Amino acid sequence: MSRFAAFVFAVATAALAAQGPPAEGPRAVDPGWFVLTGARVVVDPATSLERANVVLRDGRIVAVDAAPPVGATAVDCSGLTIYPGLVDPFVATDVPALDAAADDQHWNPMVQPQRSARDGALVPAAERTALRRLGFTTVACVPTGGIVKGTSTVVQLDEPTPTAPTTIVRDVVALVTSLQTRDGYPNSEMGAIAVLRQALLDGAWYRRCGAAIPAGGALPAGAPRPSSAFAALAERTDLPLWFDARDELQALRAVRIANEAGRTLVLVGSGMEFRRLAAIAAAKVPVVAPLQFPDAPDVASASAAERVSLRQLQSWEQAPTNTKRLLDAGVDVSWTTARMRDKKDFRERVAEAIACGVSTQQALALLTTKPAALLGIADQTGTITRGKLANLVVVEGDLFDPKARIRDVWVGGVRHPIQGAKDSGVDGSWSWTTGWPGKDPKVAPALTIDGDSVKGKAGGSDLKFADVVREADRLSCRVAGDALDAERVFWLRLHQDGGALVGTCAVSDGTSSAVRAERSSDDAKGKADEKKGGDDARPAPPGVGPLPTPLGGYGFLELPAQTEFVIVGATLWPCDGRGVLRDGAVHARDGRIVFAGSRADMGEPPIGAQIIDAAGKHVTPGIIDCHSHTGISRGVNEGGEAVTAEVRVEDVIDPDDVNWYRELAGGVTAVNQLHGSANAIGGQSCTVKLRWGVRHPDEMRFAGAPAGIKFALGENPRQANDRGPNRRYPNTRMGVEALLRDRFAAADAYRQALATYEKLAPAERAKAIPPRRDLELEALAQVLDGSRRIHCHSYRQDEIFMLCGLARELGIKIGTFQHVLEGYKVADAIAANAVGASSFSDWWAYKFEVWDAIPDNGAIMHEAGVCVSFNSDSNEHARRLNTEAGKAVKYGGVAPWDALCFVTKNPAIQLGIFDRTGSLTAGKDADIALWSDDPLSYAARCEATWVDGRLLFSLGTDRTMRETIAAERQRLVGRAVASGKKRTARDGDTKDAYWAAEDLTTDYCCRDCEGGR
Amino acid sequence: MHAFVPTLLFVLCAVPAAAQDLVPKAAPQRAPVVLRNAVLHTVSDGVILGGSLWFDDGVIRGIVGEGGTLKLPNGAEPVVVDLQGKHVFPGLISPHTTLGLVEIGMVRQTNDVDEVGDTTPEATAAVAWNPDSAAIPVARRNGVLVAAVFPSGGSLPGRASVMKVDGWTNADMTVRADAGPIVAWPAQSGERRGRRGPRPEGGDGAEENEGSGAKKARDRIDEVFTAARAWFDARKTDPSVPLDIRHEALVPALRGEVPVFLLADEQEQIESAVLWATGRGLRAVVVGGRDAALCAGLLTDRRVPVILDGVHRLPRRDDSPYDEAFTLPARLQEAGVRFCIGGGTDFANDRNLPYHAATAAAFGLGRQRALQAITLDAAKILGVDDRLGSLSVGKDATLFVADGHPFDLKTKIEMAFVSGRQIDLRNKQTELAAKYRERYRQLRAK
Repeated sequence: MSRFAAFVFAVATAALAAQGPPAEGPRAVDPGWFVLTGARVVVDPATSLERANVVLRDGRIVAVDAAPPVGATAVDCSGLTIYPGLVDPFVATDVPALDAAADDQHWNPMVQPQRSARDGALVPAAERTALRRLGFTTVACVPTGGIVKGTSTVVQLDEPTPTAPTTIVRDVVALVTSLQTRDGYPNSEMGAIAVLRQALLDGAWYRRCGAAIPAGGALPAGAPRPSSAFAALAERTDLPLWFDARDELQALRAVRIANEAGRTLVLVGSGMEFRRLAAIAAAKVPVVAPLQFPDAPDVASASAAERVSLRQLQSWEQAPTNTKRLLDAGVDVSWTTARMRDKKDFRERVAEAIACGVSTQQALALLTTKPAALLGIADQTGTITRGKLANLVVVEGDLFDPKARIRDVWVGGVRHPIQGAKDSGVDGSWSWTTGWPGKDPKVAPALTIDGDSVKGKAGGSDLKFADVVREADRLSCRVAGDALDAERVFWLRLHQDGGALVGTCAVSDGTSSAVRAERSSDDAKGKADEKKGGDDARPAPPGVGPLPTPLGGYGFLELPAQTEFVIVGATLWPCDGRGVLRDGAVHARDGRIVFAGSRADMGEPPIGAQIIDAAGKHVTPGIIDCHSHTGISRGVNEGGEAVTAEVRVEDVIDPDDVNWYRELAGGVTAVNQLHGSANAIGGQSCTVKLRWGVRHPDEMRFAGAPAGIKFALGENPRQANDRGPNRRYPNTRMGVEALLRDRFAAADAYRQALATYEKLAPAERAKAIPPRRDLELEALAQVLDGSRRIHCHSYRQDEIFMLCGLARELGIKIGTFQHVLEGYKVADAIAANAVGASSFSDWWAYKFEVWDAIPDNGAIMHEAGVCVSFNSDSNEHARRLNTEAGKAVKYGGVAPWDALCFVTKNPAIQLGIFDRTGSLTAGKDADIALWSDDPLSYAARCEATWVDGRLLFSLGTDRTMRETIAAERQRLVGRAVASGKKRTARDGDTKDAYWAAEDLTTDYCCRDCEGGR
Repeated sequence: MHAFVPTLLFVLCAVPAAAQDLVPKAAPQRAPVVLRNAVLHTVSDGVILGGSLWFDDGVIRGIVGEGGTLKLPNGAEPVVVDLQGKHVFPGLISPHTTLGLVEIGMVRQTNDVDEVGDTTPEATAAVAWNPDSAAIPVARRNGVLVAAVFPSGGSLPGRASVMKVDGWTNADMTVRADAGPIVAWPAQSGERRGRRGPRPEGGDGAEENEGSGAKKARDRIDEVFTAARAWFDARKTDPSVPLDIRHEALVPALRGEVPVFLLADEQEQIESAVLWATGRGLRAVVVGGRDAALCAGLLTDRRVPVILDGVHRLPRRDDSPYDEAFTLPARLQEAGVRFCIGGGTDFANDRNLPYHAATAAAFGLGRQRALQAITLDAAKILGVDDRLGSLSVGKDATLFVADGHPFDLKTKIEMAFVSGRQIDLRNKQTELAAKYRERYRQLRAK
């Protein structure tokens, strides 16, 4: 508990007794007592004092706006502005990996809660200097590597010496996490979430176990094995979680994980939070926002520009508005230099953010008081207040003008000079009056000095200046040229004296002359500056008006409303046993179907309802895809282990996937998002509605839909089609069966242990070791309880038969067999043991186990009494499920209305949502598709799709969107060209959200943790 | 008069299904066949209602409209079938497939598409075509009676062959063994599909390298053709120059007798491939053609046709219209580009060829033109329109009879003829369906 105890570690100051080695010779005494006089002092974002003094002593601020004390060293700051030292709350730091071989480490190398940033190098010298140059005095160091990385530490950016190490401001600030993946488990984002979720649960459990073990007593039964990893997780249960989010969706995922675990969260953002602003603002968590903006997209050639998506262009244009939008939405923001490829750009980026509407007061808060509060060091730094650390930034001008010179940065009362005065008097144009050593002494050369640049002319020829060394108010250089003797070398050393420039010209022949130059009459001082300003004029900042959700061409500025409408005159395919009805009417209101039937039976259409004349057209329930991998972020399959029941697709819904929109254009309104099939027991599936344009990804989930889980049999879990030898159990269908049997036995034991514990009287329970919550077995126990449906990838009859038998033994009903291409051979077993079978219409021959697949599969199973659906398993096929259903008519002669049920009613039954959707029945959700022709024919085009009564696709809206896309693309490509910045970044995979930030902590773990496994 | 059963010749019987095509091949045509009272979708000459057609020796001999009289030779004893208003179509042509070269996608031993080496024009599809592939009868059951089979892999994977879907041997089934060499034209952008991880340092340098990689690959292809031309010219004057089987394989293309099939999807790829091939005086056909609409001007100027790899494809870009691939044929038609439509590149689902065309029809192309795109236009692009692609006198009697249009899912194909021989429309899958329907019949009977 040692580090834990140091939680509020006080800062050691110079006044404390020396702990270093004894002095050699006399002691050096530094009173450490300064007064900065006559400055404008920005005490905090809201307060500033004119011509005030700041007194520092022993590393602390001891007085503000007081008379200069006698004894303090005075530093003249008149004309300058003093700001509080800036605080960067997130600076990645390398920390060595723990010894993976040690017994008490976490079984997964991505979980290293024992580590602390203090174990590493903290801030390396070069980075210290770079950060100080920007005005930072205090930073939080964050360990890199892993999912649970360890704890962060706040340090001063002072220069450590062997006797005075880096000052620790706060030792243990937060537990730092991310969703890093690796080659192994976890190799998907949902797997990483499962690891994090389980680790947080384990910490809480280990702590409870500790409470149940009496001090000094014997260990009770079931007591956990001592583990430094678990102990660290338990110790850090009270710490806030800091989460390194690669994009805005990951940020929302972190919010969910933290809420579940009851933990306080701080998001370290990607800078793309504006794309999901409302959802992030609603989470009410602080955001540490980086200021790395994406480079302008590559539009150098027509084909390059063509590859850039509107979403990329919009993301690029809008990135500088991120902070403004977050602040306006009420989010508590701090800024960080994290994610910047070149930290030197930081002040420039701050200025861009300010140009987008962030006030300078806000900007200062985001760099001082906000991060200080987040880090729990507001009592130590962040404002210029008596008693706080002497962390100051002395600026010539406005800190938020990127050109303004930062003169000094004071860190803990120690002065770090940064830049000299802007014009020390040397800059400008001069004419050389005396001491010219040239061939023609009568020539009076002219010099122009601007910073490190010296130019000059003598007698009509250029002078060449080399080896220019510029210190604040002096300059030395070498000069040569036609006007000078080429045999000799001429060195100049100049400084300002009164209105003149004086110095020496030394010559390699040993002679020297005194030089004097007078300011040229035509020297318009400041002219150069004006010109500079012109060069740097930025393009007008982007607007901060409303953005579409999802960002990109097909998003909505506002989610379409649930209007009241009646579709009249169409042929209706109700899919509820009524066959096909001619001249029908469908009336929807408030997202529900009020009436669906013959127009004659409806009576007068309701007043105020929109009447949609659909004569000659067809109306069906929204299509349901019982096997989809659309919209699953970063990994459809957690392939790191053979059993991954703990991973959840619902954790990684990607509402931005444009394939959702394309599927709406094919009449699809709900899908079963399934985990991949590389594992005998895969992850938990997620039933979603295609609520394209909703604010939060969770809003896509089909509330109340039964839970599901992916199982897989045959070649995939056997890894039979992978290259190279199989290293993982199982390698045969026999092993698959054994593994299932074993895990169900484990799950059964787990639920019994839980039940036993629950039955204990409260007093006994307090003494007992609580069972460890195991997310994997919990999901399987739900299968045994009948509250989670198995959706089992399967092909061959033997494996289908095997699972049917196992289900009978376990007393459970299988949800669906998926693919089930030999289902026609054992349809009776499927009918008896599963809710249904979800197949492809006609795929076959792509691998050995589908060699006997036939297109009559659906029809034969249907004839044998199986509830059959046809699914897509493909973003492309998903748009054409209506004609896939038509193939059941072609191959096997299923009646057309029954065939349409293969993609409406039947998948709804299989997913347990038929009470809400899947047919045109009064009282159900208004999930409706309108077709130009018989929906089972290729002549049919989907013309409109409603989800919950919202018109989320229509040919008319689609046409408008295409026009908007063209216009917006044109505008933004023009802007990208005008930006003139050479782009360096391009993400070739357009499926990826633009600017998925790189995990700040990837490097380390890939390098070290992997070696051990 | 020879007895002829005007419906399925073969009743479904207990032919055991196994991992081979056990359906017998068709017998040679022994007598003239007359199909009368039919809707003849000639493709070349419109639709003839109430028409009649007769063929003998595998060749269409006569076509007449309603009320017309077929002039059969004296003494002929034809088999006459009254189709009672059913439809006759020329056999559909799958213009880009690996049918017959692959049996099971993931089983390496059953894959005969990719010869070792970057430049293998000597590899000829007809040689490895498996007459007993189970996938062939599956394709033909939906009216696909001709297939252009392409080796793949490397820059010059081999030569495409045009095959018909019935016959006892490869020779029986070959329409044209050398339909032309294939050139997989290197893409410049390298799309970077699926590329992950940190960006290369100094992105621009990497870009140049990639570009020059494509340029090198293109130069290598050009050198192959230059070398083949030099070898050919040398051998003409000096017969002692030894045979180079690779160079020899390119001679028909160099002489303009067959086209060069340029695999290219991206705009820049198509443009540079077409400019290269036409610049060399080669006859070019673009295969893939995803971005063909963006190079319509060049394709029409150079009169280069396109084989589209299917219509059921995803849009190219996130911003692209959802129906971009569906409307591509209509847009090419509008722009005057010659094209035909393929059935995707999945050999096992060549049977879906008519549905790709049907989608194109619904998305602006129209039925007539879409049918032409999987029959006559394909035959022309593949250089076999002298024998295939339409119901025309003098062409092969490779055709099928259906109760509706092949674009309609409800349509049943009732008879099919390959070079006049009536083929068995059963296949492994119909037999398996029959076998297991029997299982449930037995279960119900219990």
